[in-house]
Amino acid sequence: MGKGWCLFFLFWPVAAVVSCAMAPMVGWSFPYDNAQAASNLGIRIDGLFYLILIVTAIVFVGTQAVLVYALWRGVNNREERATHIHGNHKLELIWSIIPGVILLFLALYQMNIWADFRIKKFYPEVAVKDPIAEVTARQFEWRFRYPAIGKKLQPKPQPDDLYTVNELHVPFGRPVMIQLRSDDVQHSFFLPALRIKQDALPGLQIPVWFEANKEGVYDLVCAELCGWGHYKMKAHVIVESEEDYQNYLKNLTQQQFYDGLGKIAANENDSESEATEK
Amino acid sequence: MRFGFSRLILLLLFPLISLTGCEQPQVDFVFSKKTNELIPAAAKPVKEALVRQFGNPFELTQFEGLPTNFGDVEGTVKTVEAPSGEEKLIRLQVEGLQDAYNKLQGLPLEWTSGKGQGQISRIKEYNYETGTIAVEKTAEIDPQPGDTFLVECTRLQFGRDLYNRHCMHCHGMSGEGTGPTSRYLNPPPRDFRLGIYKYTSTKPTAKAQKADLERTVKEGIAGTYMPSFKLLTDDEVAAITNYVIWLSMRGETEKKLVDELFFDYSKEVVAERTSEDGGEKPEEIQEELKEYMELDFPDTLEFATSSVADAWEEANMEDAIVVPGTPRVPDTPESRERGRKLYLSDKTKCATCHGPQGRGNGTATQDFWTNPVTNKKYPNRGLHDIWGNQLPPRDLHRGIYRGGRRPIDVYRRMYSGIKGTPMPAFGGPLSDEELWDLVNYVMSLPYSKN
Repeated sequence: MGKGWCLFFLFWPVAAVVSCAMAPMVGWSFPYDNAQAASNLGIRIDGLFYLILIVTAIVFVGTQAVLVYALWRGVNNREERATHIHGNHKLELIWSIIPGVILLFLALYQMNIWADFRIKKFYPEVAVKDPIAEVTARQFEWRFRYPAIGKKLQPKPQPDDLYTVNELHVPFGRPVMIQLRSDDVQHSFFLPALRIKQDALPGLQIPVWFEANKEGVYDLVCAELCGWGHYKMKAHVIVESEEDYQNYLKNLTQQQFYDGLGKIAANENDSESEATEK
Repeated sequence: MRFGFSRLILLLLFPLISLTGCEQPQVDFVFSKKTNELIPAAAKPVKEALVRQFGNPFELTQFEGLPTNFGDVEGTVKTVEAPSGEEKLIRLQVEGLQDAYNKLQGLPLEWTSGKGQGQISRIKEYNYETGTIAVEKTAEIDPQPGDTFLVECTRLQFGRDLYNRHCMHCHGMSGEGTGPTSRYLNPPPRDFRLGIYKYTSTKPTAKAQKADLERTVKEGIAGTYMPSFKLLTDDEVAAITNYVIWLSMRGETEKKLVDELFFDYSKEVVAERTSEDGGEKPEEIQEELKEYMELDFPDTLEFATSSVADAWEEANMEDAIVVPGTPRVPDTPESRERGRKLYLSDKTKCATCHGPQGRGNGTATQDFWTNPVTNKKYPNRGLHDIWGNQLPPRDLHRGIYRGGRRPIDVYRRMYSGIKGTPMPAFGGPLSDEELWDLVNYVMSLPYSKN
């Protein structure tokens, strides 16, 4: 049985290393484009993750190796009896200080990234000046409110605000900020491809900024178990050129103030038939 | 610590206890409460007719004459696997179904050539990968290579599968609005079986257009638990809508049939008729019912389905849609003021329900109202909708527009009213300009200081 345990404890570090090595090939790693984040901040966050992964991997593999060695020695050496000791002061100090130093290093090392992501003072100025939309999480959808073209987003709804649901368009080439709210329970604004995640809390308006490094359509999901329809709470964030974004807003304005007469852009579900019929 | 036997039992019981909360949703089309209140001899033919014409969730049926995209697909028999003596199914290799929906089990298959021409079989098994189907062996059919057939209801089945995945847990298997999660929702999910939808672009008496329902599925209904399903493709949304309308037509057909029978053959009425006061004998009633079923019921059924079908068809005609005669009156303070006066006037009586300030607290919310269906007073004060739910008039200051926030949406709410609710249609009494003034006033309320 003794050797069996040696193998058992040997198996886990080997399995961990193998699965980590295989992860990119079998699609177990980070989402989006060969595990590369779709935002520069996301790439830095991934860097942090890899650093922590490497540190923990070394510690895990190291401690397992020592454990397997000790077991193996114990199994093969029937003559030497184990002795009971009351601890080793020096050893205690070593295995407290080393992890402490590692944690302190990580804490200091990640501060810049954390600040850029979360501390308002470090937000990109262009994003803070002009939040593009208010995002309201609601069981079980995402509702968006844009300011009218040429105007700034106000905390309270304005008569000419533009509204949509489950489809957030943002311009490419500059950092953008949204004001996040929740209508009912806790939700979480999660853009896996951009590595952006922020809880939405009822009664609070929380600014979130992000900048995609590629145009495209990204999933927006809820990362807080918010009720039975939680899994359905999916939307798209569409990152497009400034020109396309402006066209989108124009189109949205036309649709929103549509009075049932005349032509409007024909990409909205039922206005197509209405527009053509006049 | 020793892990005692009693704890082991507790541990084993735990999964069992947690399972008790998992109820299976209803997996059959249900019949309405009124149908079940008929005497069995009257309820039976109604139920049979519905099963014959609409099938059940596992075996949908194509019923000609409904404005539904059933989705027929043509196929040809390639080879027939030799059936063994005991086997009850005939397995066929077919072609032509590759582009059809990949789940065809339970659908009707009509033979269009060969010995079984005109016969209908049910697909008992379908393997999309190998292109084999299995149908029940009967004396009437004898498929041979080269025989052709139609698989019916593929589109309906596609809609049904999507509906069951996305809608059923609130709206219920037959669209009766009592899915497993419905009890937690307020307002409750819509019962589709009356065929009435609140937010439409059509005239007051018309049903909803397909596009209206598609819009509701895509945009959701703000302020309710109906979420947006914008990430579904247009094709999926259209398939769901097609199925929902079909469910509505089923429910409406049932209602029309039952309404015909209810006043004479409900359990309550029959009990009255056979009581001492009524003086009729049960056999007489049975005889009368039998005669009705033989002579009039087929006509009633045909009339019920065709009138339901016609109504849905008409709603999708171009002239059913409400189009304002004039463009929106510019949203000026003067227009809003005219709207405000109209709002408070006796001509519209908006304030009676929505309150003088538009807070949804008009005097009508304090009255006991009469249920138009039963002619009895509701037990609680305030307005009710046709589904029997208490319905507070909208607080117009909240800026939540359930039927859409475009000016045309608000215009249509006023022009046609909100179907199934006490919100009346003002399309006749008010001119286009007056309606637009009201729209301007109402849409300004969320931003006013009052």
